[in-house]
This record gives sequence, C-alpha cells and structure tokens, in this order.
Amino acid sequence: MTEDRGFCVWFTGLSGAGKSTIAELLVPALRERGHKVELLDGDVVRTHLSKGLGFSKEDRDTNILRIGFVANLLVRNGVVAVCSAISPYREIRDRNRELIGDFVEVYVKASLEEVTRRDVKGLYEKAIAGEISNFTGVSDPYEEPESPELVIDTEQCSPQQAAEIVLAKLEELGRLKSNQPANA
Amino acid sequence: MTHAPRVAVIGLDCGTPQLLFRDLADEVPNIRKLMEGGMHGDLASITPPITVPAWACAMTGKTPGQLGIYGFRNRKDNTYDGMSIATSDAVKEPAVWDLLGQRGLKSLLIGVPPSYPPKPVEGWRVGCFLTPPSNKGYTHPVELQSEIEEELGGPGEYIFDIPNFREQGLDNVLDQVFKMTERRFRVARRLVTTKPWDYFMMVEMGPDRLHHVFWQYFDRRHPLYEAGNRFETAFQDYYRFLDKEVGSLLEVLPEDGVTIVMSDHGARPMMGGICINDWLVNQGYLSLSEPPSAVTSIADAPIDWGRTVAWGDGGYYGRLFLNVQGREPNGVVEPGRYEQVRDELIVALEAMPGPDGEPLGTKVFKPQDVYPDVRGVAPDLIVYFGDLDWRSVGTIGNPSVYTYENDTGPDGANHDRTGVFALSNLAGQPLGSVDGLNLVDVGPTILSLYDIEAPEGAVGRSFL
Repeated sequence: MTEDRGFCVWFTGLSGAGKSTIAELLVPALRERGHKVELLDGDVVRTHLSKGLGFSKEDRDTNILRIGFVANLLVRNGVVAVCSAISPYREIRDRNRELIGDFVEVYVKASLEEVTRRDVKGLYEKAIAGEISNFTGVSDPYEEPESPELVIDTEQCSPQQAAEIVLAKLEELGRLKSNQPANA
Repeated sequence: MTHAPRVAVIGLDCGTPQLLFRDLADEVPNIRKLMEGGMHGDLASITPPITVPAWACAMTGKTPGQLGIYGFRNRKDNTYDGMSIATSDAVKEPAVWDLLGQRGLKSLLIGVPPSYPPKPVEGWRVGCFLTPPSNKGYTHPVELQSEIEEELGGPGEYIFDIPNFREQGLDNVLDQVFKMTERRFRVARRLVTTKPWDYFMMVEMGPDRLHHVFWQYFDRRHPLYEAGNRFETAFQDYYRFLDKEVGSLLEVLPEDGVTIVMSDHGARPMMGGICINDWLVNQGYLSLSEPPSAVTSIADAPIDWGRTVAWGDGGYYGRLFLNVQGREPNGVVEPGRYEQVRDELIVALEAMPGPDGEPLGTKVFKPQDVYPDVRGVAPDLIVYFGDLDWRSVGTIGNPSVYTYENDTGPDGANHDRTGVFALSNLAGQPLGSVDGLNLVDVGPTILSLYDIEAPEGAVGRSFL
C-alpha cells in the first residue's frame, strides 16, 4: 500500500482578516475534488478542545499547539486539515509545521486600519478603548510569517477570489486530487 | 402536433444481464415487469465496451471507427503527447435527438454521455458524468439549471458523478451512489412532467460506480469475496432502491409511451491488472533511457523513442500503439513491416500466460478487422487481457507484469461486452426474450418508432 497522507492548510492573520470566510469556501471546493476535509476553526476550537483557555501568550500557544496536534492526526489519516486561527506567534506556527510536515501556510493579510474598519466581531473598538486586553494587533503582537506558501491580501480580492487563489496554489504544489472525470 | 409515440429511454450505465436478468431479478420488480411485458435480451456492446463511445455509438447507429472515438481517452494526434478525454465535442455524427430536432421534435436528455459541454439541442439537456462538479453551465438552455436547483434545494446538489470514487472510502462512495441516483431521478420526474418532450432519455451512472467499487463484496466468484462482509448486500440494497426510482419515474411517464431500459455495457469480476508497458519492456518492444525509480505514468516515463516499437495505455481494456516511421515523430517501425509487427505482437499477447502459468485467454483485435471504417487516431491493437478478466495498467516500473493494485485505485469489476435491453408498450412489438440485439441498432430502432430512417452511413438497423 502506498502511504496516503492528507495535508494541512493553515490560515493565519489578524482577527477579521478573512481567514474563516476563505476557509469555509475552501472546504467544499476540496470535497468536490474528492478530498476528505475537516475544518479546525480557532474560535470553534476554543468552545470545546481549548475551553477555559484565555489569551495569555501561554494559553494562546497551548491552543495553537492543540489545533496542530489534531491537524497532524487528521493529515496522517489522509484528511485535509484546514485550520483557521490568528496564531500570532511565528515560533508556534513553525512548531506545527515541523510536526505536521505537509503544511501549507497561508497568511491572510489585511491592515490594522482595514480590520478595525471591518470589526466583524466588534472587538477592535473594545480593544482600542482598552476594554479587552491581550488583543492581537492592538495590545498583543502579530508576527507575520517569514516564508508562507501564500500571502493573500484581502483588501485586494473578494473571499471567492481568495479561495480560488488558495486552490490554484494547492494545485501548483501538487496537493490537489485530479479533477478529471473517471473512466466509465 | 405530432402523432409519433413518445419514447422514454432509461439508461443504466453498466447494467449487466447477470444481475438484472438473473442474480438480482427479484430485487427489481418494476424493471422485470417491463421486460416481461415486452421484449428483452442481452445487448452486444461495441468493441471496446466503454461508456462514452458506447452511448455515442448507440445513439448514432455508428461504430467507434466511424466516430473516431476508441475509448474514454483518445490520442489527440500521432505525437507522443498523451491522450485527451472524449467529450461531446468529439461526436461529429448526428444522434437520435439531432434527427428528431430536424423535424421539430423535442428531446429531454439527462446525463447521456457524452454531454459535457452540453451542446444545444432542440429541447433540453443536462450534462453527463464528465461535467466538472463545480461547473456553472451544465444545461441547455442555461435557465434549466435554476429549475434543477429549485427541485434539489440549491446549487451544487445535483451529482454528475462521484469524484475520485476509487479513493473516497467505501461508506462514502455507497452513500454518494444512492444520493446521486435519488437526485437524478428526482430531477427526471420533475422535468418529464414540466417539459413538452417528444423523446426522453436519461443515463444513471450509479450502477457503473457501484459495480467498480463493490463487485468483490457481492460476487462469490470474485477472488477477493469474503462471506459475511459488511457490504455483502450493497448490490441488493442499491438495485431495490434503483428499481423503486425507476418505478416512480414510470408512474409519471405517459401511459401510451414506449419505454426502453438499456445499458451501454456490462460488467464482470476483475481478476487484476496487466502492466502492459512492463510487459512490452520485458519483450523488448519498449525501451527507457533510464530505469524508472518508481512506478511512473507512461506519459511521464523517459521513453527512448528511437528504440521503442510499441507502447500501451491503461483502462478496462488495453491499447497498443506502434511507433511507425513517418507517422510518429521518432518512429522506428518501417511501414512495410507494420502488419508483420502487429501480427507478432498479437501472437505474443495471446500467448501470455497468467500468474499461474496457465493461458490467460487474451484476445487482440486490429481496429481494421473490427470496424468497417477507421477514422481519427485509432490504437494499432485493442487488447482484452484474459478476455476482459484483467484490466490494462498503463504505468511502468511495476515489480511484476501482474498486479492486484489498480493504477487508479481499487476496482472489483471490469467492463464486459454485453449489456441489457428491454422495450415495452409498443403495439404489435416482439415479445419475450430476444437474441441478437446490438447496441448500434438501438438508435435506428428508436428512430424507426418516429418513422425516421437511420442516418446515412449508420451500420445499425432497427430490430423491430
């Protein structure tokens, strides 16, 4: 038997940059191509697997490493693990990359001005007003990836375009199953 | 208005006599009722029994040679640049619906291969299994899509085929086969009742996918069959389900219409695969500039064309191409020796033993002997390994000529040369079991029901 591994698509970026929106568009597109796919969304993971964890650096690191741990189990069982989490610290993302191996890091980029303007969850306003501490981009650092497989500037493209860019990159990296019809 | 009968064809891709007429006859009461009320019999498929050319030949009354379509994939030209998939663009000859359309008769066509891209037709057309899943233009006219999406509750719900079905996991594939069939029949029921059609035809891919993935779980003759396996009743379950869907469709078809149930080819247990290119290397017909370090697709292999006489392609049957001087870019076979080399290869292929040392029973055909006319880029030889007990594997660098791992994933069934045909509800028609039915005769037979002659050059003839 040949080894049939999946791979991990890791979306990182500021809150409100568009990670989850793009991930949710990517998942059905991968399923259409015959991949087994699971979505691990940072916000969702915090409601169960990482329930009780806060936003200190230690807790954030624990959360991201837990997501990486699960993603690795999925990948080695042939599943595409699509992970969407701010994951602000480079070192922790790189530890996940090292653990998983088949790792495609996508930096979903948007300026602080833009994500503050979008303020999807109403958090930036509170963070800037000092009501939320440890808020990435405002009162906590975000360390940009140094060599991600892909950078998507969501101020320059729609979520659909972004998902297509990710698919094209995965195709280029030889990660995608053929979309060719099967003999009959 | 026309007084012609309304003919409805329910196509079951890979519908197999062994299953529908014998092993599973009790599971398909609606189909059996059609057979018993009219005529039915084994339907000889084309050479080779492959979906796209088979349906195209059935509906044009012509042979693969006349259509220039010899398989799922075809050589584009005489270069070494690989193969292209035959789509609707490959069919240049008029089909049943084209001739009906010339007389103002409207056709409603759902999933009849090849119908991607969905060419305009007098009537309505939904693309076939070749349609990419995310395709945005899969019907003619395009507005038909919104009706399908309304019926199914949204875009993306209609299932053309199961993508990468050999790699999806058995439970998922089985679930998808049922879903695909249920949704296609739901769309069919909707459209046959809302469109003023004169001719209706649909092709359901479910049986083909079920057979390929699950045959070894059902058929006690299959070497991998294990009694008590958890998919042992998958065939029975699916065929009962399919028959109910057929029954529900029959209920909404016009009472005075002619009904045909048919398939394009059958299926049989697959024993394994023959690595045709590794065999050619062993026999000295194919040379590589360096030995492959891993199993490689023939398209990517470092072939030393200056020392290669022949190469092959994989699929449910084998295709062999000769490297001919003046035809291929680096041809080595002198045209004057072409027939001699073909004959040598036929002798060697037919003498090939199986893994047990016993004769494999391979049959080899020259296209010129099978088809009255050979157009396009035909294979030089068509090979039925073990008379279709074995498939052809196109990769090179395999550890043995015999493999039990398909190069495209697991497969329990190979195609067989006989499909099924049943026709009922026609006044004065033949009744009972009928012999000698041929796939290429189906189109001319359907046309005869509308008092239309077979198209010029058709080899098929009405069997009514």
